[in-house]
Amino acid sequence: MNSRFVVKPELCIGCRTCELACSFAHAKNGRPGRSRIFVLGGGFKDLFVPVTCLQCEEAACAKSCLVNAITRNPETGAMDLDHDKCVRCMACIAACPFGCSLFDEQQELVIKCDLCGGDPACAKFCPTKALEYKPVTVRALRPAI
Amino acid sequence: MRIESEKQLRDYRKKLADADKKLTKKIMVCHGPGCLASGAEKVSEEFEKQLKRKKITGVTVGSIKKTGCHSFCEKSPLVAIEPAQILYTRVKVKDVAEIIEKSIKGDEIIERLVYHDPHSNDAIPKYPDIPFYKHQTRIALRNLGKINACDIDDYIRVGGYEAAAKALLKMTPEGVIDEVTKANLRGRGGGGFPAGRKWKSCRAVESDVRYVVCNGDEGDPGAFMDRAIMEGDPHTVLEGMIIAAFAVGAKDGYIYVREEYPLAVVNLQKAIEQAEAIGLLGDNILGTDFSLHLHINRGAGAFVCGESSALMLSVAGNVGEPRAKYIRSVVKGLWDKPTVLNNVETYANVPMIIANGADWFTSVGAPKNAGTKAFSLVGKVRHTGLIEVPMGTPLRTIIYDIGGGILKDRPFKAVQTGGPSGGCLAEQHLDLSVDFDTLTKHGSMMGSGGMIVMDDRTCMVDVAKYFLSFLVSESCGKCIPCREGLYQLHKLAIAISEGRAQESDIEKMEHLSEMVVTGSLCGLGKSGPNPFLSTIANFRDEYLTHIRDHKCSAGVCKELIKYEIDAEKCDGCMACIAACAFNAISGKKTKPHVIDQELCTKCGACVAACTREAIMVL
Amino acid sequence: MVSLTINGKVVRAEEGEYLLAVIRRMGIDVPALCDHAAVEPYGGCRLCMVEITKESWDGWKNYVTACLYPAEQDLIVNTHSEKVIELRTSLLDLFLARNPETPLIQKLAADHGLTKTSFEVVPEPNDCILCGICTRVCDEMGFAAISMVNRGHGREVAPPLNEAPPDCVGCLACAQACPTNYIKFEDIGTTRKIWGREFELLTCEKTGRPTITREFAAFLSKHRDIPEEYFKVNDEAHRDELASTMGRITRWSVQEETK
Ligand SMILES: Cc1cc2nc3c(=O)[nH]c(=O)nc-3n(C[C@H](O)[C@H](O)[C@H](O)COP(=O)(O)O)c2cc1C
Ligand code: SF4
Ligand code: SF4
Ligand code: SF4
Ligand code: SF4
Ligand code: FES
Repeated sequence: MNSRFVVKPELCIGCRTCELACSFAHAKNGRPGRSRIFVLGGGFKDLFVPVTCLQCEEAACAKSCLVNAITRNPETGAMDLDHDKCVRCMACIAACPFGCSLFDEQQELVIKCDLCGGDPACAKFCPTKALEYKPVTVRALRPAI
Repeated sequence: MRIESEKQLRDYRKKLADADKKLTKKIMVCHGPGCLASGAEKVSEEFEKQLKRKKITGVTVGSIKKTGCHSFCEKSPLVAIEPAQILYTRVKVKDVAEIIEKSIKGDEIIERLVYHDPHSNDAIPKYPDIPFYKHQTRIALRNLGKINACDIDDYIRVGGYEAAAKALLKMTPEGVIDEVTKANLRGRGGGGFPAGRKWKSCRAVESDVRYVVCNGDEGDPGAFMDRAIMEGDPHTVLEGMIIAAFAVGAKDGYIYVREEYPLAVVNLQKAIEQAEAIGLLGDNILGTDFSLHLHINRGAGAFVCGESSALMLSVAGNVGEPRAKYIRSVVKGLWDKPTVLNNVETYANVPMIIANGADWFTSVGAPKNAGTKAFSLVGKVRHTGLIEVPMGTPLRTIIYDIGGGILKDRPFKAVQTGGPSGGCLAEQHLDLSVDFDTLTKHGSMMGSGGMIVMDDRTCMVDVAKYFLSFLVSESCGKCIPCREGLYQLHKLAIAISEGRAQESDIEKMEHLSEMVVTGSLCGLGKSGPNPFLSTIANFRDEYLTHIRDHKCSAGVCKELIKYEIDAEKCDGCMACIAACAFNAISGKKTKPHVIDQELCTKCGACVAACTREAIMVL
Repeated sequence: MVSLTINGKVVRAEEGEYLLAVIRRMGIDVPALCDHAAVEPYGGCRLCMVEITKESWDGWKNYVTACLYPAEQDLIVNTHSEKVIELRTSLLDLFLARNPETPLIQKLAADHGLTKTSFEVVPEPNDCILCGICTRVCDEMGFAAISMVNRGHGREVAPPLNEAPPDCVGCLACAQACPTNYIKFEDIGTTRKIWGREFELLTCEKTGRPTITREFAAFLSKHRDIPEEYFKVNDEAHRDELASTMGRITRWSVQEETK
């Protein structure tokens, strides 16, 4: 059974609760981290789109990482970034076509969505269900990402 | 022609021996390292020229050339006349005509050129009677000085490749391993690890590929046993490796030769080609389905490349730096495959063990230390050179009988064995038997076989300082205990030699040494503090005199000595004034001279110049 | 799986797993300066030394580097025995003589009760602890642009012949991985300087911000199959692109549904 993010931008009210949840879920030494999810304008008035890592099948981040710091987590399906291995060369940040590998200036770490180990905080806290993390069986008309 | 059976090998040998019998006399000109350095090449050329000019036949000129080291290097160049066993020493080009006239055409012995006993001054014409040779037993060095290194026929004539044939054709790999295990052959490269056990573990590892490697890096300053074997009897190394490879199941082998030994590379390469040409090496050796290909690697020029993990990385084309690992190379060695690494001398013993059996081998030597060990005997002994003695021989025999005692009959002070990280033994150790276990027990080690004899004019602090500085510059620098620890030990030794140290510094050095021994990554660091540890154990008082009294009793440490002229002895010849580059000596002719302590740099030039021994070291 | 005892506690570990990993998993703090997850263990700093023994060893003890010693059945490990602490303290004493001003070393030494080295400080000390992380990382990435040069006490990290390294792509991995920030680099505008070489940084077509060097991007395209056009914009612009694409799809499907 494969859980995925199901995003319905039309339900998003741009409250950015997901970003906050992500930051706190990734706090280190009491300091919140940079959010791995971004609520961005969708190009139309009042249309907001929560954007985060698609955990691509053939992920550019992993391909570009020369020290193999990014690997698929067999349990969660996430492309996990091992901070102990990462040498901060920024290759993955430059290579990801969706901009979902990024640098956290505060923590001085390269970061990306790790699906919070299988229970993403962002989806849990979304008040409107614009962002859900659930099992999908058939490909919905809406992009399941 | 390929030799494909034991019978063919035997027939071939017989043919060679018959041809040899036709030669009435043989002139063996030693082309070992020492003799080459003192002009042996010119001497052998002169022999060739004159024999040709005088049309003398029935003498092998072919086999005079390039015999390996005859080993009495101090008397080089050496020329032996066989089969009479006459040894001529310090032979010059101008002596050649006389030798041909008297000893080749005739049977006369030229007294002037033979060895004379230093005490009785009796002439000893035959080398087996010379004490230097008399106390030796030659197994690994058996062919040195007897055969032409670059001629496989010469090697076969003296029984070469018989052992390989026996192993491949009549024994099983397990049988070979058993024999070597029973012979208790211990590694001659320093550690003394039993070769049989090493081979057995290597064979036991499951793998499609295994390797045999020969360590010919010989980095110890002053040591040249392995060089002499590789240059003078390369086929014995190949034969030993063939037997080892057969035993462990290796198809490829590597010989790692020290960078500074180009002649060894040339001779080994020739030997490989010659052996391959007649089917004693390469594919289907002696017609069996066993194949072995040997390759030569030039060393990377660092002492530490002789360490096993560094050597294997270097052979594989990487930087020759020790690799930290806790998996043995018999399991994961060269290219992470099971690998047997043995020293040149270890391999040189193998054919003799297979040919003559383990019981014969263990009949030589001491309990648990079978066989012999080769040493290069250097320093303040009368006779320096390459020697091989049964294990268990007392140090005294080596130094006084073989070495002929201390130069100028000065008092013996210490003997250093085991290379730079070996140790110094003192007077009270002279009756110790030389074998792996005894030396280690007394704070020194066998090492690969350097033996440096020191007299009373050697300062032990200075000795420690010298070897520490060697190790500091040879440490690869990878791990901190060795890189920084030996550096600090060396600094402290310098402080002692300059009278700047306190007594507590000795304790500090002891503590630091213990840490370097336990903490270092490879053998270099682990044995690195030995020069200090063994001198402090045996010569503590000498350290204390340096520290407390600011005196160097041997008169070596410059900061603690001064030169003065004994007015009684000085006859005012002015020789020292001329010798002093710093104008520190003044005085009128026939009047005693004086040294200005301010200007004197303690270079010692005046001491050497003074014919009346009037200059005193205080 | 094997089971072994570490500081009196029985733990389980994968066979062959290095002791340091097991020790860390237990939350025990052992200093390990030359260890880096991206590269193979090195065994250079020797600080991770621990005491090991076994019931069957008759009281014999050995001192090994935890970063390299594989976990074995019935091994008894002590990470802080008296002798181990003494060893580590002496090592740090030596480190302090070489890197007296390096905060990382000062802190570790202070933890072991040392504020000043008992040895002579080396001439011209610097911050490089010779852990070899930079060179190993650079090797691991496939560039091998820098290496350890000179033997013994004169060892240092340097590009070949001490000239601007031809194989360097300016990825900064070496500098980023260096535990003491000894490797100096400079990013000014779209110019990056490291190891005496100058690189041009690619800039994002949308935001104008610099990303990675042209050489690094070219390497990733050539050897890692990353299409060149991916490098035209930076992460921020990439995210905006994704948002607008999703916005358009949403617009379209909502319209379809309401039809
Ligand atoms: C720093 C260092 C240098 C060494 N140099 C040599 C060498 O020059 N020749 C040698 O045979 N063994 C040398 N060894 C010993 C080798 O590591 C290894 O033990 C030996 O070659 C094994 O062969 P053996 O068992 O036949 O002695 C050295 C060891 C160390 C630690
Ligand atoms: S920044 Fe880190 S995770 Fe990304 S490619 Fe470089 S090493 Fe890998
Ligand atoms: S002990 Fe010395 S030679 Fe051996 S790895 Fe350490 S620094 Fe290098
Ligand atoms: S910046 Fe250059 S030297 Fe440093 S890791 Fe990258 S390629 Fe290697
Ligand atoms: S420069 Fe930094 S990473 Fe490289 S060896 Fe020195 S301390 Fe280690
Ligand atoms: S971490 Fe440096 S030796 Fe183990």
